[in-house]
Amino acid sequence: MKKKVLALVMAAAMTISLAACGGNGGSADGGSTDSGSDTTASTDDGGSADSGDYDLRLLNGKPEINDQLEELAKLCEEETGLKVNIETIGGDTSAGDELKKMYQQDNMPDIFVIEANQADTWDGMLVDLAGEEWTDKTGFELVHDSMGTIGFPYTVEATALGYNADILEKAGVDPSTLTSPDAWKKACETIDSKKDELGLTAVFAYCAEPTNLGWSSGTHVFGQYLDAGLKADDTKYIDLLNDGGKIDEARMKKFAEFVGMMNQYSDKDHLLIDGTYDEQVAGFKEGKFAFITQGNWCVTSPDDVDFEVGFAPYAFEDGINTIIAGPPSYWVAYSDGNVDAAKQFFNWCAGDSAQDILVNKAGLVSPFDDCQYEATNPFYKSMNSYITAGNYSGWHTMLKKDGLQNETCQVFADYAKGSIKDADEFVSKISSVISAYYAK
Amino acid sequence: MNTPSALKRVMSLVMLAAGLGLLIWALVMDFSGSKVSYRGLPLIIGVIAIIIGLYFFPTLKHHRTIINVLFLFPLLFAFAVTVIIPLVLGIRYSFTDWDGIRIRNEVGLDNYIRMFKDPAFIWSIALTFLFVVVNMIMVNLVAFLLALLCTSKIKGLGFFRAAYFLPNLIGGIVLGYIWQFTFSNVVTKIFNMKYSMIADTGTAFIAVIIVYIWQYAGYIMLIYITGLNTIPGDVLEASAIDGATPMQTLFEIKIPMIAPTITICTFLTLTSAFKQFDVNLALTNGKGSLDIFGNYLTNGTEMLALNIYNTAVINQNYALGQAKAVLFFIILACVSIIQVRLSNKKEVEL
Repeated sequence: MKKKVLALVMAAAMTISLAACGGNGGSADGGSTDSGSDTTASTDDGGSADSGDYDLRLLNGKPEINDQLEELAKLCEEETGLKVNIETIGGDTSAGDELKKMYQQDNMPDIFVIEANQADTWDGMLVDLAGEEWTDKTGFELVHDSMGTIGFPYTVEATALGYNADILEKAGVDPSTLTSPDAWKKACETIDSKKDELGLTAVFAYCAEPTNLGWSSGTHVFGQYLDAGLKADDTKYIDLLNDGGKIDEARMKKFAEFVGMMNQYSDKDHLLIDGTYDEQVAGFKEGKFAFITQGNWCVTSPDDVDFEVGFAPYAFEDGINTIIAGPPSYWVAYSDGNVDAAKQFFNWCAGDSAQDILVNKAGLVSPFDDCQYEATNPFYKSMNSYITAGNYSGWHTMLKKDGLQNETCQVFADYAKGSIKDADEFVSKISSVISAYYAK
Repeated sequence: MNTPSALKRVMSLVMLAAGLGLLIWALVMDFSGSKVSYRGLPLIIGVIAIIIGLYFFPTLKHHRTIINVLFLFPLLFAFAVTVIIPLVLGIRYSFTDWDGIRIRNEVGLDNYIRMFKDPAFIWSIALTFLFVVVNMIMVNLVAFLLALLCTSKIKGLGFFRAAYFLPNLIGGIVLGYIWQFTFSNVVTKIFNMKYSMIADTGTAFIAVIIVYIWQYAGYIMLIYITGLNTIPGDVLEASAIDGATPMQTLFEIKIPMIAPTITICTFLTLTSAFKQFDVNLALTNGKGSLDIFGNYLTNGTEMLALNIYNTAVINQNYALGQAKAVLFFIILACVSIIQVRLSNKKEVEL
């Protein structure tokens, strides 16, 4: 009898523990936004009490503007009554990975961030936003072949060769003349000869280190081959690339010669080959380099620099006078989510009070024509002059096959190191790497 | 035990029926995509009812079996959820074009064929085997020497043991970044090199090996120390009286006596070197170029685990990555089995 009691007690203990486990598992999809975890939230539309009373959930991929987006959400509730919950993914987890998990958990946010080449993976799941009020005010929305207008641009970023205007002035170089390879060559020679008196380490703060900075050479610098000199909607070279990894050899060769010149006038002892992003940006901010191969994100506040900055084009062919400008990523609305609220939110975001926060507090550059705020970003003046003059090309580098930058960046690194000798070898190596990757 | 009473019999059957009903109802709700928030409750109550029903099930013959299964159930359930189901699902995914979000087509063996046609992947396999062989020898050698040092009569033994073990407590990612800095800013200065070891494929591979040994030798050393300490003092004493030299003591007594420890250590280093990922990721991220198989490869230092990660997560090719992971599993399973078999034989001979 004693044994029986013991067995019963143990069986009961077991079932209770099982029930406890099951209970936790069960409530996970019943919604637990209040448990502190940002990634588990309710799927039912405000049915149960603990499911978090939000109309909209927005998945943000930029941790640096999380606080400002929270502020935006608060203002949105005051002005429109929409309760928005901001969920930020950042650091080493990319929003794309997190979204895959959320999708498997049936826990998708209503609005999330994607890069242009990720649209295909969400084919059929994103809302066509064509005809919304805000689409008339910008030319930067993301349009997909089968889904229509899907992406809301929340910022515009630009990349080209950022310059330090003070140094160029002292060296006697006018950045507006840098629109041909010859002009560049002359300018580099001039600056290089005055390196010591200007206190420069090298002319270019260019870093081709592939392990951590592969995105810079493989995506941004490579993007200049795809887009420099083209109109924003011209997709000639990206189409060629996405057609099985073909390249235009003549154009690539000129681009390679330009990169070769950058290698020649870079800090070959350190930064070029085994430097880091921090060293690159810090060196530029301290005035040790005349040019930097980054975009407007590398200097975000006027307090960072005590000199004027601007952009010069990668003029590897005569007459190239464009910088690359556009949204690096977009907000999209999930078709099974709260679509009406998402549309309302987008329209509100394009309006004056929201732009005030996004531009003045988050330091973003507005993609909307009627935005009255000037971005605080030191590069803004230069960017804006290119954009208003129509001298900007698209970010089509974001449309290349996912992961290609990890392959091409190695070619840039070898070229910088000297194990690729000249432009011809660069062209043959990069074309074999690209076609091999597209064949995978 | 008494024959089960009529009451119990009825209760058991009612419980079973009710439990099954609740369970099916809950599952139907779940699979039909119902948004009812209380659908977890019938599931749990159903499961509990079935368990109670089974416990009181009117049988004498199978009562013991039922109880055994019931008590094993939590463990089996956890094992299935965390190991068996993911394994089966993973193998299934490798025959599809899963992109991490949904499956569009079944592609049969396509992923496996593509995988073996990819020279970069073949290189990763070759490199991993090379890494494993070099590391198994080097880590064990270094660890054993350190263990000998730490069992001798030098001063500050505690400090040395702790110091050698410490790198193991730092995570591989952190180690990778620390050493990346060291290689590009310190080692270049000391040896007057033009640029970091990591910039060239060959030296970058050596760098990964150095960091891995530095991290792992301390841990293996501890196991060797334990092994060396289990050698009975009288054996050593007897050999000393018989006039054995230190070398003879080492090779004729100490090493044979710790054969089981060597088995454990080779096994540990073997499997952990195969699964090397974090140092590889943080230190070189698999970068490095090489001309091989008539191709220009850009993944000179990318080992198998990192290759799988990059294929699936970075290049968004989940199904192909899954196929590679299946192969990885097969290789690891084979190597482990062979290794354990061989070592066991040797121990018996001893």
